[in-house]
Amino acid sequence: MNNIIKVNNLTFGYAGKPLRQKDGGEVLKDLSFEVRQGSFLSIAGPNGAGKTTLLNLLCGLLKPQDGSIEIDSAMIQQYSAKNLARKIAVVRQEFIPVFEFTAAQIVSMARLPYSDTFGFESKRDKQIIKEALEITDTLRFADRTMGNLSSGERQRVFIARGLAQDTAIMLLDEPTNFLDIKHQVNIFDLLKTAQSEKGKTIIAVTHDINLAAQYSDFALLIGLKGEYKFGFSKEIFTGSQIESLFEVKVFSGRVNDANFFLPIGNFAKDSEKSPEKHKPESAV
Amino acid sequence: MTETLTAKKFVSNIIFFLLILAAVMALCTLAGTQKISLEKVFAGPGKSPGENIDYEIFVGVRLPRVILAALVGAALASAGVVLQVLLRNPLADPYILGISSGAGLGTILAVLSGISFNLWAGSPVSLFALAGAFGTVWLVWTVGRFAGRWQVTSLLLAGVVINAFFSAVIMFLTSIANSNELRTTVYWLMGNITAKDWPVLIIAAICIVGGDIGLFSISNKLNALSLGEQEAQNLGVNIIRIKTVAFALSAFITAIAVSLSGLIGFVGLIIPHGVRLILGPDHRQLLPASAIAGGAFLVIADTIARTIFQQEQLPVGIITALAGGPFFLILLAKYNKKVYWLQ
Repeated sequence: MNNIIKVNNLTFGYAGKPLRQKDGGEVLKDLSFEVRQGSFLSIAGPNGAGKTTLLNLLCGLLKPQDGSIEIDSAMIQQYSAKNLARKIAVVRQEFIPVFEFTAAQIVSMARLPYSDTFGFESKRDKQIIKEALEITDTLRFADRTMGNLSSGERQRVFIARGLAQDTAIMLLDEPTNFLDIKHQVNIFDLLKTAQSEKGKTIIAVTHDINLAAQYSDFALLIGLKGEYKFGFSKEIFTGSQIESLFEVKVFSGRVNDANFFLPIGNFAKDSEKSPEKHKPESAV
Repeated sequence: MTETLTAKKFVSNIIFFLLILAAVMALCTLAGTQKISLEKVFAGPGKSPGENIDYEIFVGVRLPRVILAALVGAALASAGVVLQVLLRNPLADPYILGISSGAGLGTILAVLSGISFNLWAGSPVSLFALAGAFGTVWLVWTVGRFAGRWQVTSLLLAGVVINAFFSAVIMFLTSIANSNELRTTVYWLMGNITAKDWPVLIIAAICIVGGDIGLFSISNKLNALSLGEQEAQNLGVNIIRIKTVAFALSAFITAIAVSLSGLIGFVGLIIPHGVRLILGPDHRQLLPASAIAGGAFLVIADTIARTIFQQEQLPVGIITALAGGPFFLILLAKYNKKVYWLQ
């Protein structure tokens, strides 16, 4: 298997605004990892660690200050916006567009990188759009406007657009944010389907370390001081690494093949300091 | 099944809109305080001036005025569509970035200075307004870029500030103007369509139709841009280029329209919304259909303005504002929850 993305000594900071105390105020420093074609990589870490910054670097919205990013054995700077959009599809957190586009119209925008000047969809485009709507189970409300869908449905529409873009790589920024557990699982199942049936490389930034541990092949943990851990998912998502990176106590357990993590704060029922522990028996 | 735009549907919708425009233009050319017969019009001009009055009114007065109204309406409506996308704000209109105040300042300076010349049938008022409009666009652009790298918010703020400043200058100048100069200026500020000479119309038609074709050629990218800049770039749109082209072309056609007819309000706001309600937000269709509908709307409004009173012709801006004000309030109520000013 070859590596479709190669990140070498990547360094990035926001000019003039050091966000935190790393050496030169960088958000990301000397970050290196490679992503295998057709694999599922989860990126996790505390707020402000630079996960979304990394995602924006990988899709070309930001330029690296130092180091390099290689996409499909060419430097990312060598791609035009259009050509990069044929390699990488990006799914961000769902939102309601200002104008009242239908789900089908949103998905058909995925064909923009392949269209000519006036851009009417070809027969083939229509076929790809329909297929994406089917896989994501969004076909039945394809003609409803985005504002009339639930957040879970809207997120699936954006994933459908990502699929219709027909790219080797799909980047997702917290795709399960604000969704209930049923829809969280639903989204991860969908991503896994895209990986196994379409051979897509999936890179998802997520706060959901439990689902990430269950679904991903590889994991990248980024900390607040520029430290990072990269490797096989089951080696990266361990209780001790999560505790040190997120600076929180976790209870970790194991289901068949993956770890799960339960964060425990000072006043949680299972915490030593919890008032529940010191309540007299009669009051419980 | 899924409803997305096909070339066939597009062509039939646009032809439908064009037929309506043609019908409106034909009827409105015939309407007027002076009754004219088509038979006489088709007989052609008489041998000497004044022989065939009907032909002269039709070709020399009404037709140019109707064509100008159609062009100005088309320019304002399509510029409105584009600015609503660029600012991702359903309540934006062609004047939101201050173009109106710059053109207004040019006009009042032309009137007050009393310059009189005739350049290619263009009056000093038109040319000064055009210069003022371009000057303001350049100023807003430069200030906006200086304030923040191509941010929508800084463009908007630059437009508001420059608008406020120029409006103050206009107020000052109108307060020292005499009543005759004042009337010309006030009519201009209210938006007023008058018959222009054919060379002016031809130049305006080339500029506005050309600008609209340019905008139409980026209309599928405007769809992506209306989702936000990051989204558009991830869909392969070179956003700096598209925003520059969209801003420049819409400012250009607005400047042309304003220099010919003054500040006609509401067309650039209500027509895009009306057409969006009928055809949906797909800009490949919305943009040309809005241009055509804007033309038809302004032709009707101007016909009302010139025929409602026997003795006096009203500025067309009064009619569009009377029709547009209530419509705007309805929109405001509808979009109140969805306005993303600072996105």
